[in-house]
Amino acid sequence: MSVLLERLIATLGREAVLSSPAELLVYECDGYTIEKNRPDVVVFPTSTEQIVQIVRVCNELEVPFLPRGAGTSLAGGVLPVGGGVVISLARMKKIRQVDTRNRYAIVEPGVVNLSLTNYLKPHGWHFAPDPSSQGACTIGGNVATNSGGPHTLKYGVTVNHVLGVELVLPDGRVVTTGGPIEDAPGYDLTGVIVGSEGTFGIVSKIWVRLTRNPEAYRTLLGVFETVDDATNTISDLIGAGIIPAALEMLDAPILSAIEAAFHFGFPLDAGAVLIMEVDGLAAGLDADAERIEKIARRNRAREVRRANTEAERALLWKSRKQAFGAVGRLAPSYCTQDGVVPRTKLPEMLRKIQYIGERYNLKICNVFHAGDGNIHPILLFDERDADQVQRVLKASHDILDECIRLGGSVTGEHGIGVEKIDFMPKLFSPEDLAMMLRLRAAFNPYGRCSPRKMLPTAGACIEQSKVGRRAAL
Amino acid sequence: MDDASCQIDGIGPLPVIRPTSVVELGEQIRQAEAVFPLGGRTQLDLGYPPSRDGIALDLTRLDQIIDYPARDMTITVQAGIRLAQLQRVLAGEGQRLPLDVPRAEQATLGGVLATNTSGSRRYGAGTARDYVIGISTVNDEGQETKAGGRVVKNVAGYDLCKLHLGALGTLGVISQVTLKVRPIPEASAVLMFGCETAALPTLLEELHASQTRPICLDLLNAAAVRHAGLLQPKQAWLLVIGFEDSETAVHWQMQQLIRELTRLNVVGTEAAAGAATQPVWQSLTELTAPTGAGFSLQAGVLPSQVAEFAAFAAGLPGDPLIHAHAGNGLVRVHWLQTPDASTAVAHRETLAARAGHLTVLRCPSALKPLLPLWGTPRADAELMRQVKHALDPRGRFNPGRFLQGI
Ligand SMILES: Cc1cc2nc3c(=O)[nH]c(=O)nc-3n(C[C@H](O)[C@H](O)[C@H](O)COP(=O)(O)OP(=O)(O)OC[C@H]3O[C@@H](n4cnc5c(N)ncnc54)[C@H](O)[C@@H]3O)c2cc1C
Repeated sequence: MSVLLERLIATLGREAVLSSPAELLVYECDGYTIEKNRPDVVVFPTSTEQIVQIVRVCNELEVPFLPRGAGTSLAGGVLPVGGGVVISLARMKKIRQVDTRNRYAIVEPGVVNLSLTNYLKPHGWHFAPDPSSQGACTIGGNVATNSGGPHTLKYGVTVNHVLGVELVLPDGRVVTTGGPIEDAPGYDLTGVIVGSEGTFGIVSKIWVRLTRNPEAYRTLLGVFETVDDATNTISDLIGAGIIPAALEMLDAPILSAIEAAFHFGFPLDAGAVLIMEVDGLAAGLDADAERIEKIARRNRAREVRRANTEAERALLWKSRKQAFGAVGRLAPSYCTQDGVVPRTKLPEMLRKIQYIGERYNLKICNVFHAGDGNIHPILLFDERDADQVQRVLKASHDILDECIRLGGSVTGEHGIGVEKIDFMPKLFSPEDLAMMLRLRAAFNPYGRCSPRKMLPTAGACIEQSKVGRRAAL
Repeated sequence: MDDASCQIDGIGPLPVIRPTSVVELGEQIRQAEAVFPLGGRTQLDLGYPPSRDGIALDLTRLDQIIDYPARDMTITVQAGIRLAQLQRVLAGEGQRLPLDVPRAEQATLGGVLATNTSGSRRYGAGTARDYVIGISTVNDEGQETKAGGRVVKNVAGYDLCKLHLGALGTLGVISQVTLKVRPIPEASAVLMFGCETAALPTLLEELHASQTRPICLDLLNAAAVRHAGLLQPKQAWLLVIGFEDSETAVHWQMQQLIRELTRLNVVGTEAAAGAATQPVWQSLTELTAPTGAGFSLQAGVLPSQVAEFAAFAAGLPGDPLIHAHAGNGLVRVHWLQTPDASTAVAHRETLAARAGHLTVLRCPSALKPLLPLWGTPRADAELMRQVKHALDPRGRFNPGRFLQGI
């Protein structure tokens, strides 16, 4: 048994440590499966103190370590690039405190997003960020990636709902930033820890902002003959100053997959549909819904349906949020991309995606957070076919390059991870990146925490004895 | 305003340079020992005096609109633009930045962000943190570097935007900003009503539980009401509840709130709607930095503690003005007559003991050495210093003026 393993077992007990190859298999990658690497050990702390002890051991033995939530990252965020220790927060899942009077809750990082919202339901409150993966992903993971979701169009992304965190720094110190009392003078470290993708340390406790449940919803389904009509509708809605609670687009290929899985009753001959939802006080919602309907019809919507019951609305959202799951019916493998363009550029971007699909002879379907300009083209392929894999990678790159060309970004919510490191120099100058590296050095001077993530040169000094990064295919 | 030189807290005169380009701004920073960025000079008395000699960099000539794709609801501007000017440009497209900024004709966007200025609408509309999506700053080497971008959703790279907000210019000079903006709401209305101290805790609880969704939930004591010229105060406290939304939603909320208040036996509500709300919003905004205040404090408490804290503060001698953003737990206490040194120290201490944090917003220069202006160091003070050291290793930006060691 290695010294590392011995020390970790001595610290945490055997039940909290995984080390056999079979057990480690699941931890080789996350939702981004194109690259894999096995960690040396996976540990399951149950307290901040245990995280501190693990981090100390890793530092003493000069082993890299990496926090992991539910492993739903789509960017290789929890790919253990240099091997080392994966610190799973899955057993730290207590909701510590709920204070609706002061609009906050304190949770451990392993709390699953949806379980907090479900817990709050009887109180009439919720945690606003609602990633499509919310049934599985953890709030710690949301914090690390600054997650969005369908309803973050109106309510804002994770950072807008995080008041403070407790962070185990890469050197083992524990620090608390922020908290329930607003505006304490000083730097907004919480704001910059959110979205730092695990490279600033391990988030061990989170103060989240709670949001009141809306009194009512109006959920519309606009059915369009063409993708163009749908994207023009989005552009017109935003241009008219309408901010729906959610505005999601699904194109024909994804609709047929979802329909087969959920039998919602989507029209299979439509070019695209838009889920358009307004929420809040009941007063005024009908007027909002009418304005939306008018704009959709002006853009030649064939039909605008309304979800008439709560059950219908729930099924519609279930169909949307589990769309990725349904994709499995279309092809053995798929790669979900994440890019952003200014919202008025969506028609142009979607045409370009279609062109890129044709160019590389790939099937691409689209289901995405349209109101934010946040596209999620899903590229279908068969991972056993090396040529297809190459084409998928090339097509992905072309799509992301186009996002940059249109003034957007290469990730709206999934993060840079390992997947998009090469795009950072396209988005940022060497000087910009140097400032980011300086900031990282303040938190993570030896680069031992989450090495080789997010920034091109990150943690390059850490070389493991083990095999490094290798492609799974 | 003297162009050639400026004093900060009696220190100076510092030579004032007004760069007309970012390149020139960078040049100046590269050559300077220490730089003190200036925006509209409306909040120069915030913080300690400079601890070192240096130059003042006036950003007001860097005031261009770089890009305003109104249909995307974003705008990119240089940081020296005056807030009122920015709002005029946005209003031309039916949009706005929902931040309440006092002396907006003078205040620049850069200054507003560096001080994280906010006002009454923060309850419903949030703060600068919720609107800044991209930022360019000039670093200690005189290079302009950026973070974020121009799209409303973006997680590429560290979000340095957040770090510069409320950093008082100590991490670099903000040169350009991209903002997410909002449509100007169709309707605006406010409801004001008085209450006595004993009724305050219950009333605030009930307002928290209200079915309505106010954008503003402000609490003022009679002295503040008088100073703001809002109306003739009849009771110890005045609550100002504001709504901004569609016509129908605002109308319903006003009716609903009146129903709820009637159940609570509140009488004598005053309402304003449409254009008539303008002076109310204006007065509330100016009250966040009232003219003539000699000694001003800002406390942060939990929203559930506002009633007790405000009542206590109102009982302090010297007839202070109390203005709370009750839904957020921010309470400002202003004395028009500057108390003598020992009284000021005592006021600060007694309030600090009851608050989560307490900042001295304004006081005579002579008192500054006696007062911990920024309050007790935060739990993450050491990490903040590490961040400061990483981004400004030679301590060039606003030395001495902000937190200890920063
Ligand atoms: C089907 C599907 C749909 C998705 N839909 C969305 C969506 O709508 N919006 C969206 O934003 N994302 C979406 N995602 C991506 C992913 O779910 C989110 O990024 C999520 O926040 C990751 O949470 P996790 O718990 O799985 O974190 P992981 O995948 O385990 O980790 C993600 C990153 O966070 C770091 N991390 C995790 N926990 C901590 C911690 N406690 N401290 C510090 N760092 C930590 C990891 O090191 C890693 O870098 C989707 C993914 C899938 C598979």
